[in-house]
Formats: sequence, C-alpha cells, structure tokens
Amino acid sequence: MKRFLNVFTSVLALAAATASLPSAALADWLEDAAKPLKGTEISGIFLDRPGYRAIIKLLPEFEKKTGIKVNYEIVPYENTREKQVLNFTSQGGQTLALVDLVWIGEFAENGWIEPISNFSKDTKITDPNLKLDGFFPLLLDAFGSWGGTTYGLPFDNYSGLLFYNSCMLKDAGFTKPPATWDELMTVYAPKLTDASKKQYAYALQSLRGETQSADSFMRFLWPFGGSLLNKEFKSNLLSKESQTGLKFRQDLMKYMPPGIVSYDHAEAVNALAQGQVAMITEWSAFYGTLVDPATSKIGDCLAVAPEPAGPAGRLPALGGFSLAVASQATEEQKKASWLFIQWATSEDIAKPYVDAGGVSGRMSVYENPEVKAKYKFVEPMVASWKAGVPEFRPRFPSWPAISEVVAEWGSKMMLGEVTIDGGAKEIGTRMEDILAKGGYYDGKKKLLQ
Amino acid sequence: MADMTAKPNRGYRRWTPFWFLAPAVATLLLIGIYPTLFALITSFRRYNIARPREGFDFIGFDNYASVLTDSTFWASLGTTARFYVSVLPIQVMLGLAIALLLHKTGMGFLKALARVTLVVPLATTYAVVGLIGRLIFNRDFGVANQILNAIGVGGFDWLGSPRGAFTAIAIMDIWQWTPFCALIFLAGLSMVPGEIEEAARLETTSKWALLRYVQLPYLLPGLTALLILRSADVLKLFDMVFVMTRGGPGAATDLVSIYIQRVGFRIFDLGTASAQAILLLVLTILISRLYIRILYREVQ
Repeated sequence: MKRFLNVFTSVLALAAATASLPSAALADWLEDAAKPLKGTEISGIFLDRPGYRAIIKLLPEFEKKTGIKVNYEIVPYENTREKQVLNFTSQGGQTLALVDLVWIGEFAENGWIEPISNFSKDTKITDPNLKLDGFFPLLLDAFGSWGGTTYGLPFDNYSGLLFYNSCMLKDAGFTKPPATWDELMTVYAPKLTDASKKQYAYALQSLRGETQSADSFMRFLWPFGGSLLNKEFKSNLLSKESQTGLKFRQDLMKYMPPGIVSYDHAEAVNALAQGQVAMITEWSAFYGTLVDPATSKIGDCLAVAPEPAGPAGRLPALGGFSLAVASQATEEQKKASWLFIQWATSEDIAKPYVDAGGVSGRMSVYENPEVKAKYKFVEPMVASWKAGVPEFRPRFPSWPAISEVVAEWGSKMMLGEVTIDGGAKEIGTRMEDILAKGGYYDGKKKLLQ
Repeated sequence: MADMTAKPNRGYRRWTPFWFLAPAVATLLLIGIYPTLFALITSFRRYNIARPREGFDFIGFDNYASVLTDSTFWASLGTTARFYVSVLPIQVMLGLAIALLLHKTGMGFLKALARVTLVVPLATTYAVVGLIGRLIFNRDFGVANQILNAIGVGGFDWLGSPRGAFTAIAIMDIWQWTPFCALIFLAGLSMVPGEIEEAARLETTSKWALLRYVQLPYLLPGLTALLILRSADVLKLFDMVFVMTRGGPGAATDLVSIYIQRVGFRIFDLGTASAQAILLLVLTILISRLYIRILYREVQ
C-alpha cells in the first residue's frame, strides 16, 4: 500500500509539474487563439539552411495544434530579397516576411511589414509568455527593430565565430586559439602555414557579392575601430582605423589559400573540414556542417571560440533573420502569421528547435546545461551576442546598392588591382553618391542605420 | 490536271488565314512586343520599386544620360566586347572544323552519333553549365588542374584570378556553343549541290580552294545568322557567368548582363536597367545590320 501511495504521489506530482510547464500553457493559448483561424493558409520564404530545416521538422506540430497551413518555398539566399520585394510590390500572396537584418530598414520604411504592436495588443492572439525581454537584446534590436519600433522576432540567428582545428594548433605548439587578430597573424599564422604542403593558417570567404562586402570587408573595420560611415553619414573608410583594418586584411592574405577571392561560405567551411586550413571565421550556423561526418573530416579536432578581438575590442560579425507579418496579408492571414511567428520563436520551442539544428534567439535555452554541453558553439556565440554592433552592416534601404560597390572594389583591393586607400576613396565617393540620391544629405531622411 | 472549275473549299473564308495566324501573333505581342514597349516606357521614368515613395514620374532622357555617363556600364560593355571577340572566332573555327569532318563520306554510324552528341551542350541549362564550370575549374579538385598537373604544367588558380576566371567562362561558353556553330555549318555544307562539289573535286585537290570557292558561299547565310544570334546571346549571357563567378573576382567577368541584373534586381532601379537594356537592343540591331550588309550573300 505504501509503495502504491508513493507511486501515486509521484505520478500526481509529475502531472502537476507537467501541467505547469510552459509547453502545456503554450498549447492551450495557441489552440484557443487558432480556433477562429482554422483552415487559414499562410506562406513565406525559407532558406536551405539548418534553421529552416529545423522549423520544417517541427511544423507538423504547429499545423496539428492550430489547423493553420504553413506554405513555404525554399529559395537561395541571393534571390530571397528580389523575390520578396517583387512579391510585396505586386501585392502577391506572401503573408510572412523573412527579414535579413540588412533589409529591415527597407521593408519597414516601405510599409511592407507591420509593427508587432499591431498584434501584441490583442491578448486573444498573443502568447501570455511572449517575453520580448527573453530575446538577446542585440538580436531583437538588430534583426527585428527599425527606428525604435519592433517589426519582427529573431528567428535564424548567427554570430561570427572562430572555428579552428585544435589538433593542427596543438601540433604547432598552441593549446588555445588566438585571442586577438594581431596574435592570429603574427604568432599563429606563420607556424600554421606551409604553402608547399598546401596548408594555410586561415581562410576568409571573400567571393564577390554579400560574402565580400559583409563577411570579408566589414569584418576588418569594426574590431580595428573603423566603420563604413561617420556620424554625418559620410565615408569613414579613409580614417586611420578603417585603413588599418583593411591593410591588416591585405597582409593576412599571405596566410590564406590562393584564390581566396573565389571562396564562398561553402569553400571556406570545406577548407577547414578537409584540413586544408587551421582556422576560419564563419557563421555559427555552419557548426552542423562541420560536425557532420558526411561533410567534414575534422571530427573531434573541431573547436569553437569567439572571433579574435581587435584594438577596439571583440566586435564579431553579426547576421541573422527575423520573421515579420507582411502588410499585404488579409486580416486572418496576419493573425495566423503572428501566431506562427510567436510559436517559431518562443521559449517553449527553443530547445526542440536547437536540437533540430536551429539557433534560437532566446537566452533561456542556452542556460540549459545539456545544451551547453552538447553544442560547442553555444558559449562563444552567447559571449559574442552580449556585445556587438547592431549596425555591423548598415541596415538602411541603401545598403544593397552600397554592398554592390563594396563587393566590387573590396575584391579589387584584395587582388591588388587598386591600393587600399585608392579603393577606399572609390567606395567612399560612390557610396556618398548613393546616399545623396537616397536623401540622407538634404535632411529628407533621418540618419538611421 | 486540276479541275479549274471546281468550287472553292466551303470551309475556307477570307478570314481563315487570319485565324490561323492570330494565336502566333497574339503570343508574340504578349511575350515579345509588350515587354519591350514596357521597358521602353520604363526607361523614361523614375522607376525604383524598392523606393515606391519617390513615385514613378517621367524624367525624359535622365536615365539614358546616367547610363551613358556611368563608367561601370562602359567597363562592363568593354568586358563583354572582349569576351565576344575571344570566344567567337574560336567557336567559328572549331565549329567549321567539326562540320567539315562530319561532312566527309563514310563512317555513317559514328557521324550520326557525333551529330546527336553535339546537341548535348546546347540542351544543357546555362546555370548547370555554370555549376559544371565551378567544379571543372576548382583549384583543388577540379578536372582542369588535374589535367594540367598530369602533363606537368602545374595547377592554376582559375576562378581566383581575374585572367583565370575570364578564361574559365570563355572555355565554358566555347564548350557550349561550338556545337551550335558546327550544326549550322553542317546544314550549310549539306546545301552544296553534290554534282558541283564532285566537279570541283575533279578540278582541284586543294581543300582550301574547295572551301573558299565552292562551299563558303553556301556557308555565309548560316554564318550571318550565327553571328547575329551569338551577338545577341553574348549581350544577354547571365546565368552561367553568375553561377561561376558572380562577375568577379573584382570586375574581371562583369559582363554587361550581370551589371544590368544588378541594377535591376539588386538595386531595383528598373528605369536605369530598362535604359541599359534598350541601349543594348539598339546595339544588337546595329551589329546585326552590319553583319547582314558585310557578310550576307544569296547563292546565285
């Protein structure tokens, strides 16, 4: 009898505990909120990346609970903005906007996405546990907000990290990764480079396009105290700090594989995965590719650290996407889209999302000891997100045009076709011309980036 | 002899040809003429769809002025011209050589097989050609460098150097379009009357004389068509180059079509992009007229 009572009490306790779990609460409010929206179809664009594959795995659960059908199309990143802009300007069928942090200004200023306050004030369709302060503030600010208004919730989140081959470093006599860029180039790189064996210390993805402008060029401005623009939105590329950073990138090239200007993300990750280079600075999202034995030979030698610091501190690359409600959707679709966004970015789904390969923007999930132990990238990534620059790349509508200029002249600098200051002058002139046309110098537009 | 007194077919009316032609004409208007007219009108307007608040006013020739004073546009047009003069002579020469080989008598089965094989590159999508190119010219595991290593020349950084990248896209274009040239020339050679060719062979043993005085006149109409088609095609060549190099490194492979796509679909300045496209259309027409005037001759 005593044993029965013990078991009975345990079951009761477990049931009570389970009932108090947020997921149960989530299920309740979500099911209730979705009742009037059953059968509604929403649609958006996904990328062929781990975060999207993760949410696709979890989607049946959402659709079963809510009766809302989520249609998605998988599109290469390079075509995503084009496809969405054409959809929004032609009043197409997209109800969810996938917003890269550099598109937020354009999407918000054109009224293509709605502020979340339009929905969050309606308690019937808002998660009682929404907790905006549960997101990393940097992510919510950079990915989802523009001009002080929040439009989207951080969904697919990246930080630049230093991925390195600890075995190669150990063989070269290093027990820890470089803490600063200077250390990487002057101490580590010479010992880790042997061109005759096609071994190189570091690879920096620098293919023309957003890879060159965001991953390569901008990465060497902020940590060195430089920036693209000054406070008046004039070019800051000729400042001593910016020039130092760009010159550093040029000098570092002698420790990179030849032809680095043709390296996209895949090539850089592959170079580390196959043991050709010892270190890369890449997005956290590539962790999955590097630990997968089908795509990587690095195995247990893989280690992860925050990006090295520069003279101005550790200011790593920041990137990611938020999900927002598209203004062109019908009222039902907007509500249904809002429910989906809350679910996909909620604290309750964060753990399954991370386990399925995604990188959540919620702080709480990374406090989980199991998550910390299982994923090597968590600690350096969280450290990176605690300090960072939201405008790592300017998020205003003129960025795509400026990015093209930076991509062309940044590549030319690396190839030695122009000098560092010659290229910087060229980018500066063209960038200021674009900004003048954008209305930033005649007071028509606020200097927001 | 036909019965001239027979009544005309009762199903045939005055408008019958019109109805047969109407679907083709309507389709042409819809997919050919309308977009061209739309681009022409857009080229005179401020038309940036990513900045709808600026409006879509008519601005006269401002877009054309901005294109004609844009150094990047001229540089990309120069790169396109360099690409055109690099690939076309090789394609014509190789195509002619293949056509002459296939025109020889004998080895029927092999020739039939070769003709079918010639269609394969033509049937391959441009983007796929680009993907194949990225693999072939990969510095570490590409076939191109493996061949160079095997013959002792040593690997080359194809896609990472300006000259290498330009050469790589040229090789892929030559691979894809030489068969087209060969097929056009083969069709031209098959037009040469057999008795004339036979007679010429009895007169001379010089293959050059045979080609120059007997076969070439039959090849000129095809060559003219070929040059016109390839001119238009090179001016709009986009997918293969974008997949292989995205116009880089630097601006080494920044063909004019890549630049127009960037202006149109990255910056969304459709007014300027339309002006660029219209200027290219004019250029294509001028080049075509030039080819027709210089090269085209009907065989008497």
